[in-house]
Amino acid sequence: MRPYARQIHIRAPIHQPAAVRRGYLRPGALLLGVLLPGVLPVAQSVAAPLSVSVLLPNGRPLAGAVVTAEPSPGPGHAAAPVTAIMDQVNKAFKPDLILVPVNSTVSFPNSDTVSHQIYSFSPAKRFQLPLYHGKPYPPVLFDSPGIVTLGCNIHDEMLAYVVVTDAPFFGRTASNGTWSVDAPNGVYRINIWHPRIRDEDKDLQGEMTVTEPAGGALQLHLKKLLKPAPLEGRPHSWDGY
Amino acid sequence: MGRLLKHALGVVIASAALSAAQTACGADYELDVDGRLVSVKAPPPIIDGNLGALRFGGDHSGARLGRVRLALAETFGEIWTVHLDASSWGDRDKIPAGLTEGYLQLRPYPRAGFRLRVKAGAFYAPISLENRSSGWESPYTLSYSAIDSWLGQETRTIGAEAQLDWLGTRTGHDFDLGLTAGVFGWNDGAGAALANGGFTFTDRQSVLWGRVGKPGVPPVKSAEPFRELDGNAGVYGGLEARYLDRLVVRFLRYDNEADPSVVDRVSHTLAWRTRFDSAGARLDTSSGWTAIFQWLDGRTYVDPRGSYSNWPFRARYLLLSKRFGERHTISARYDQFEVQGSGEDDDGWQKGHAITLAYVFRPGTRWRCTLEWIRVTSTSYNREEFGDGLATAPQTQLQLAVRYAFGSLAAD
Repeated sequence: MRPYARQIHIRAPIHQPAAVRRGYLRPGALLLGVLLPGVLPVAQSVAAPLSVSVLLPNGRPLAGAVVTAEPSPGPGHAAAPVTAIMDQVNKAFKPDLILVPVNSTVSFPNSDTVSHQIYSFSPAKRFQLPLYHGKPYPPVLFDSPGIVTLGCNIHDEMLAYVVVTDAPFFGRTASNGTWSVDAPNGVYRINIWHPRIRDEDKDLQGEMTVTEPAGGALQLHLKKLLKPAPLEGRPHSWDGY
Repeated sequence: MGRLLKHALGVVIASAALSAAQTACGADYELDVDGRLVSVKAPPPIIDGNLGALRFGGDHSGARLGRVRLALAETFGEIWTVHLDASSWGDRDKIPAGLTEGYLQLRPYPRAGFRLRVKAGAFYAPISLENRSSGWESPYTLSYSAIDSWLGQETRTIGAEAQLDWLGTRTGHDFDLGLTAGVFGWNDGAGAALANGGFTFTDRQSVLWGRVGKPGVPPVKSAEPFRELDGNAGVYGGLEARYLDRLVVRFLRYDNEADPSVVDRVSHTLAWRTRFDSAGARLDTSSGWTAIFQWLDGRTYVDPRGSYSNWPFRARYLLLSKRFGERHTISARYDQFEVQGSGEDDDGWQKGHAITLAYVFRPGTRWRCTLEWIRVTSTSYNREEFGDGLATAPQTQLQLAVRYAFGSLAAD
């Protein structure tokens, strides 16, 4: 592991309410844990907020960035597998990114009237799946961590990602660019990913320490501008040739 | 108007037949009916044996048929698809309706970042950047650019094409790259219309083995681009690079490899050796702007019994378009074109430019309304020689088109 990237700063301890300092989850965090399968309630009695923020070169927050946190030295225990859904709606994957623990399954329904042929040649999961209207297929197992890029062999403009992680803690940054979870005391390796980020992988990693009661916060400033967002609003019939 | 009614009746019969066929075989289909109101000030078009540079001309003002189009797509297994695209243009071609494209496509799943696609049959080479809609139509204007009007009239790959793509955008990169190679026959007549009538501005695509028309000659004896006279196969090779979904850059070199000395003994049709380079770029922005540039440079020549004649040609255009939501598009295009004459008297030379302005309104996926104004300013040897004294007068055409699309493919 390389030392902290220069753009990563550990914030000064943040003042927390006494209930949090005593080591158990806030009601809000528990609710978050139910909604987001990757954010598991922490069993240890010593836990504190682990917070990661991703900022663009202009200082504005980046929403939707994938953040994973693994204890260092590892290995940590991967979160429990889940079942997720990646639908096809109006010739687009919906949602365009899902984040699941390793050994999760993803089902691919087709809500369109046209057929799709979903494929991935990413090393983490190679598969192909013809999605005829009204014909369901068994869910696909994602048993290796990594970024799985999905495409459609009929509709080139369709593009989505399944991010498979073996980290015990993971999530995506909210509109304020921040993701946080309550984690046991310790040192964590942090990895950031987003399909539009251009920064090199080594600049998207860092380490941080979580110490009860204040926890730890890490801020990552991207050096490079994002790739342009996929175009929206174009009639689908425009690219037959 | 009678012609329009006849075609409308044909559409009804075709729809009924199609519904039955569709129910029987389950193929995806689309039936488009495109009606026009036209106001035109130009000589009659080439298909009517005159020298107009537009699709309509002469006494064509009024209600006209734009296009009736029937497209079918049927998939066999996962990776084989048959596409059929038939159209009628309501004009004086010897074939009242025919196929503009018909091909079998093999589309295996990508592997290790590479993807192969193979087509066999009759289809367009990957040149046009404006004709990106189904049926090789432009979503920006009714009349195609000078380049694409000519390609639609006189070229078609009747043969096979392979395209190999490196899908960089699926492996974390910003670019995709593609290589295309095609081999074809039945295009030894390509170039005759360009040498005789010059560049024109039309959305009338020749149907397979249909005719283009030749100035001063009735359509029955007009130019036939889809002839095979010498047995030589034509070839093309192209490159394409794409930056995300924003920018497409294309280059293609085309040579029909016709033997220019060949003359058909029965019809006395000449083989036209036509070769050209084409290049273009298309940029789409997230704010709804599109900019397209295309360039074409080539020559066509004949050499029957040692009487060599050569017509170099070149054309280019710039199109700017702004899309407002999914419903409204406003576009402007500027074309420049030139055919250099052959021999001492420059037989067949033509030079000019054109401005096209269009507004497209799509109230839904099935309706499309287009209002287009086009003005072509050109000088032409043939119009000076054989025309009615209006050799350099601008030709203008105003069209209102209303199109309705039926069928499962139309919902796209």
